[in-house]
Amino acid sequence: MKWLQRHIRPEQVRELSLLLLIVAAVLIFGSMIDGYYTSRTFNRITSSVAIITVVAVGQTLVVLTRNIDLAVGSIVGCTAYFTGAQLAAHHGMPPVVAVLIAMALGCVMGAINGALVAYGRVPSIIVTLGSLAIFRGILIDYSGARTVTTDSLPKWLLELPRLNFVTIGDLDIRAMFALAVGIVLLFQIGTSFLNVARQFYAMGSNPDAAELIGMPARRIVFSAFVLSGTLSGLAGFMFLARFGSITVEAARGMELQVVAAVVVGGVNIFGGSGTVFGAMLGAIMIGTLEQSLFRLQISEFWRDAILGLLILLAVASDAVILNRLRAIWARTDLKLVARDSASPAEAKR
Amino acid sequence: MNIRARLLRWETLLLAMLVVIAGLNIAYSPFYLGVGNIVNLFQLSIEKIIVALIMTLIIICGEIDLSVASVMGLASCVTAWLFQMGWPMPWALVAALAVGGVAGLINGFWTAYVGLPSLAVTLAGLIGYRGVARILVEDRAIGGYPLWFNNLGQQPQFGPLTISIVIFLAMFAIMAVVLHRSALGRLVYVMGNNLQAARYSGVRVRRVKLLLFVASSMIAALAGLLYAARLGSVRGDMAQGFELDVITMVLLGGVSIFGGSGNLLGVGLSILVILNLRNGMGLADITGNTQTSVIGALLILSVLVPNMARMIHTRWKGRET
Amino acid sequence: MKKLLLATAAAAMLALIVPHGAKAQSAVTGGKAVDMVLLPKFLGILPFDQAHQGAEEAAKELANSKKLQYLGPTPENSVAGQIEIVTNAATQGVGAIMISNNSGDQIVPSAKAAKAKGIKVVTWDSPIPSAEGEDVFVAQVDFSETGKIMADMALSILGKDGGKFAILSASPDAANQNAWIDAMKNALKDPKYSKLELQGIVYGNDQSETSYNQALAMVDKFPGMKLIMAPTSVGIVSAAKAMQDEKLCDKIKISGLGVPSEMLAYTKNGCAPQFALWSFVDLGYLSYYTAYALATGAIKAEAGASFKAGRMGNYAITKDPTRKAGLRILMGPFSLYDINNVEAAAK
Repeated sequence: MKWLQRHIRPEQVRELSLLLLIVAAVLIFGSMIDGYYTSRTFNRITSSVAIITVVAVGQTLVVLTRNIDLAVGSIVGCTAYFTGAQLAAHHGMPPVVAVLIAMALGCVMGAINGALVAYGRVPSIIVTLGSLAIFRGILIDYSGARTVTTDSLPKWLLELPRLNFVTIGDLDIRAMFALAVGIVLLFQIGTSFLNVARQFYAMGSNPDAAELIGMPARRIVFSAFVLSGTLSGLAGFMFLARFGSITVEAARGMELQVVAAVVVGGVNIFGGSGTVFGAMLGAIMIGTLEQSLFRLQISEFWRDAILGLLILLAVASDAVILNRLRAIWARTDLKLVARDSASPAEAKR
Repeated sequence: MNIRARLLRWETLLLAMLVVIAGLNIAYSPFYLGVGNIVNLFQLSIEKIIVALIMTLIIICGEIDLSVASVMGLASCVTAWLFQMGWPMPWALVAALAVGGVAGLINGFWTAYVGLPSLAVTLAGLIGYRGVARILVEDRAIGGYPLWFNNLGQQPQFGPLTISIVIFLAMFAIMAVVLHRSALGRLVYVMGNNLQAARYSGVRVRRVKLLLFVASSMIAALAGLLYAARLGSVRGDMAQGFELDVITMVLLGGVSIFGGSGNLLGVGLSILVILNLRNGMGLADITGNTQTSVIGALLILSVLVPNMARMIHTRWKGRET
Repeated sequence: MKKLLLATAAAAMLALIVPHGAKAQSAVTGGKAVDMVLLPKFLGILPFDQAHQGAEEAAKELANSKKLQYLGPTPENSVAGQIEIVTNAATQGVGAIMISNNSGDQIVPSAKAAKAKGIKVVTWDSPIPSAEGEDVFVAQVDFSETGKIMADMALSILGKDGGKFAILSASPDAANQNAWIDAMKNALKDPKYSKLELQGIVYGNDQSETSYNQALAMVDKFPGMKLIMAPTSVGIVSAAKAMQDEKLCDKIKISGLGVPSEMLAYTKNGCAPQFALWSFVDLGYLSYYTAYALATGAIKAEAGASFKAGRMGNYAITKDPTRKAGLRILMGPFSLYDINNVEAAAK
């Protein structure tokens, strides 16, 4: 037990239980649905989760700093549309350039949000509620409400969703899912080991204290929004590749799915705790439910009701169980510290 | 004094905006000042502005209720569903209000008694209550209600006014008294300013919070029913996304998202600003998305401009001393 | 002298014919100033842009000095948005509103209010189900024919042995979609189609993401499904892309109503071997002529009235056989597209 407590943090216990929950859900669905364990089910879930996950990574960073980014759906829609329009006009554009365009545009939009929040001192919910509407409005005006259609896009883009990264036995790991996992790993490692990235946590758990001890509070918040925007831009590119025809309404309402994934994944809505990996698990949990429920014939309309319940349970279990776990950990830590400080004294004697 | 002066300035600013917008509308559209248009101006958003009143109290109290639009949808779907099952319309309406109350109890219980953040609880509600509404009516559109019910939303009952406008006006008066002239209202401010202090001073913080969430959901349910009466037909996606408009109205009214400050006069003015702006742009044939982005910009600027002014002011002062 | 005689004879003949022919062909004279609003279901999809183009063409021909207003809500706000636009148009006292109705009977109160102010309410593409508050509906095709054509396409794709299929529709409240689906169900009663089995209907709300996801969901929801019939231009493309991405095109085919340029690739690679559509440009054009003729008083909204709609020729208002109280103008015809003609049509 003590060994456990030394090597595992309460957050990891939570993530582990979410992982178990996902496994349990898969087992339950598997027993209820014929032909559930096929590569297609796996593909379905992973492809639908990939885009949400990338956006959720950025959202996690923002939420960690005690802010929220509701504009992500509009950013995904804008970048998907704009990149699609560029690709339709310039068929010879190299893929890398297209991805960079999407990310750059997302970055600029994130920077606008970040600047208003960090330097304009406007609460993030107000800024992003406003820019959610503004970005979408600009998109509709810019596009003249026309659609980017599949036939106008280059072939390599439309084939991207089918591209396999690696095939393990029967399971195809599609490139887009691999990309999402790669980003999660990158940011998980970054936020765990880089000092710069650890500041996101410090900011969120106590912004005043963080500022007092000389952390560049504004720059941290700003960069969280910039990263969120950039990742949303990347997600916009993935969105374009996946759905092909992009209307001006693309990805409207995605912010709710993303916030839901982040909350289910155990990121504290008041900042300071939670991980990128958890957010991915949250996205996978929701994706598994979404992609499996309708196969039970009756349940298409039950999805949202169940999802709402899941979010409530996730938050409640965080508040009740996680706090208790933390208390246990804290007590043991104290004991350990007490013993450690006691033992040298014993040795002297 | 300082705060008071600033608040006063805020409402003055809104009033000035309103005058400018109304002036522009009068100058550019000969139809703006018609009685019919003024009634329509309220009628087209009446459900949202009714909900905005109670949302004001919730936000001043330091909480938020994202589930209102879903509760609106749920209430109208409950009515439609029961009516289709053969219930008499009045009972179906009562049941819908009761369901609204239950939704509020759920929100309030988890927020006030378990202590979860209302942002997360009502986000769950936003998704979950909508889900229940969809379970009830699925993909159908349910109509064919008794004429008196449709007339309730579509026909003027009091002079040129519809019943929903009268409800709005009455509710505005009640909320104003509650918030600004009662012990309950003072408590709402205290809770928004410093919850800990309020709890320690022996105040029944939890009960008040529960009350607010129940009131919020029941009023949302009522608004949903008025919306159903106005449209004469109910679908699962009714009122979807309204929460953003409602919250925008409240925040533009100068209510702090962190609670503790703001007042109903400001919200009343911001409602007028938004409705007149929308109406004017509508009459100028500018459609929804542009309207929404202009209001979005207004929302950001309404907080940004005073912030900038204050920053410049302090820097200036700093240089002087 | 001879000429004069001929002319008199002709005039006399006309005078004879006119009373017998019940209603005369009304002339639609251009050059009058009428404020007109073209209201699509929502902004952002190709067919409505094409209808707008057709309406602009008619506006130019009729030399209407007032600019045509093309106003639409965004899809997520379609119902409330359409009501708001109709209400504002009524306040402004425009001459005519052309609505592609997406809100079922929810639009009725505001449409009635507009009509009460003397505004002509013409619906196109999708009518008001109860026909209340509506002057006339410009029907792109005969709605019962749509059902038969969809059944024919299903049969020709699936072959004589038939098979299971399902429908991917737009929104559950789209009057035209529902009428077509009902018509198809009716058509299926014909023994000719006895081998076709309809497994169910799902809705993609005319949004590409939703339609794409719904199409994938259908694969699992309806075991043995061999065909998705999507009578919506958004649904059919999304479904085709979904099947292609999942490499299912050899097992599940797509058909329905689609725009040739969007469908070209999928018809060529065999995912969507056959689909149909009418010209949305013509529909916009005819709707504009109809609304203009009504608003200028050239015709009245009653069965039997007829007029010449520019390049498209003569049209008459008749009772709508698909709705109890409605009037309609029938446009037609259908164009069927397959590998042989899709490339030419896509240009």
